[in-house]
Amino acid sequence: MAKSDDGMRILQGLLVFGNVVIGMCGIALTAECIFFVTDPHGLYSLLEATENDDIYAAAWIGIFVGFALFALSILGIIGVLKSNRTLLLVYIILMLITYAFEMASCITAATQRDFLTPNLFLKQMLERYNKSDTDNNNDKWMTEGVTKTWDKLMLQNHCCGVRGPSDWQEYTSAFRIRHKDADYPWPHNCCVMDAQGSPVNLDGCKLGVPGYYNSNGCYDAISGPMNTQAWGVAWFGFAILCWTFCVLLGTMFYWSRIEY
Amino acid sequence: MCSCWVVLAFCCLGQLCADQSLKPQIAAPQLATNNPTLTTVALEKPFCMFDSSLHPNKSYIIYLYAMKESASVISSLVMDNSGKPLDSTFQQTSGGQLGPYKAALFDVPNCASPPRLADIGDVNKVSDVLKQYLFRVGDDGTCLYDPNFLAVCNPPLAPDTTYRFKYVLLDSTEGIMKDQTLWSDPIKTRRVKLPLKIDTWPGRRSGDMIVITTILSVLVFLLLAGFFASVSSAVM
Repeated sequence: MAKSDDGMRILQGLLVFGNVVIGMCGIALTAECIFFVTDPHGLYSLLEATENDDIYAAAWIGIFVGFALFALSILGIIGVLKSNRTLLLVYIILMLITYAFEMASCITAATQRDFLTPNLFLKQMLERYNKSDTDNNNDKWMTEGVTKTWDKLMLQNHCCGVRGPSDWQEYTSAFRIRHKDADYPWPHNCCVMDAQGSPVNLDGCKLGVPGYYNSNGCYDAISGPMNTQAWGVAWFGFAILCWTFCVLLGTMFYWSRIEY
Repeated sequence: MCSCWVVLAFCCLGQLCADQSLKPQIAAPQLATNNPTLTTVALEKPFCMFDSSLHPNKSYIIYLYAMKESASVISSLVMDNSGKPLDSTFQQTSGGQLGPYKAALFDVPNCASPPRLADIGDVNKVSDVLKQYLFRVGDDGTCLYDPNFLAVCNPPLAPDTTYRFKYVLLDSTEGIMKDQTLWSDPIKTRRVKLPLKIDTWPGRRSGDMIVITTILSVLVFLLLAGFFASVSSAVM
């Protein structure tokens, strides 16, 4: 029995180590998801208006899952060291539930990321930016969010439109209904601004003279942070789940071998 | 780049391109990239086009006429029987549909010292350069609705329509036309598409999503199998 005793000791050690790693990863996951949820780039309004903001839902689930993983890892360590069947059974069942939630978060983040295409943001920008007559409060809230976000995006990233300023010329839009093409071929935020926040040369901007308007599109500035968020939640979660899978299998084996 | 623009400026001033028939030209596309837009067209001013007709001691003025291409079957005359240019407005010709209307008047551009397009980079000079080099037809959105407006009204053009333009030189004291260019080549304003037509379907699923979903599904299945196996072995 000494050999299997040794084997059990090694398994105990491995399980404790595995749970320590799970605990630390849980904290890291919580921190990462809190970072994403705080929306440092201010892009949440765009997603909210597309009614496709599930990558934020995935991040919210990630916060709670991370914390649950940390708590459960402590329970697991105690259970393994004490070789207590009840504790370990509770641990395994709760871990399975947490596993399911984290799996939902990863799959949601990965799936929803596929929906965020340039055309989606283009359509939303054309239909909502500077829309003057809104149907209800929800519409008004989303329109204001989209308008403010785009204004900020165009100013800070020195860009215009989704693919370029020609988006405003190729399509009709809520902006076009409100402002005449002769005065505003594109929004004034597309113009190169001086230190006071007004266009350096308005005629140059209207005519499209190089150097007086922003000629590149904002899609990179939008998709970059969103990709980072989606992939960060999805792949880090996936890595944690792979590790947790191994630890859980080991714990189940250990549990089945404990004598009363 | 700068030397290219200077050469282009000279070329379009008619010095090098001697064979070109004199017509109003659209502004240089390297300079005015957003041209023509939905309702405006930026034209080059007539540099050195009327030099043979200018006398040194007289004062001249240039009129710009615009009309829809479809109006050329109705009437494309810009002067009446006595040689005086027409005074038609945008409203009188229904926006250029019934014949040419006067869109602008300005001084004869300076042929000897044209604006240097290389100065575009300088923020202090760019307004002057643009003003001297080109004219934007359709620039004024308010003059049609302003009852007090007395000057020549230059309202926005219609989208998705072909227009033609002509410059006319006249003697400001006598008010008689001295010279005119040909009608320009047809220039079409932009056409817009509806945003409803934009297709937002993402297409294929990305590989990452398929990998994550399949592997996680398999792992969950294995975990549940392991759980039931250990519970059943503990029960027995």
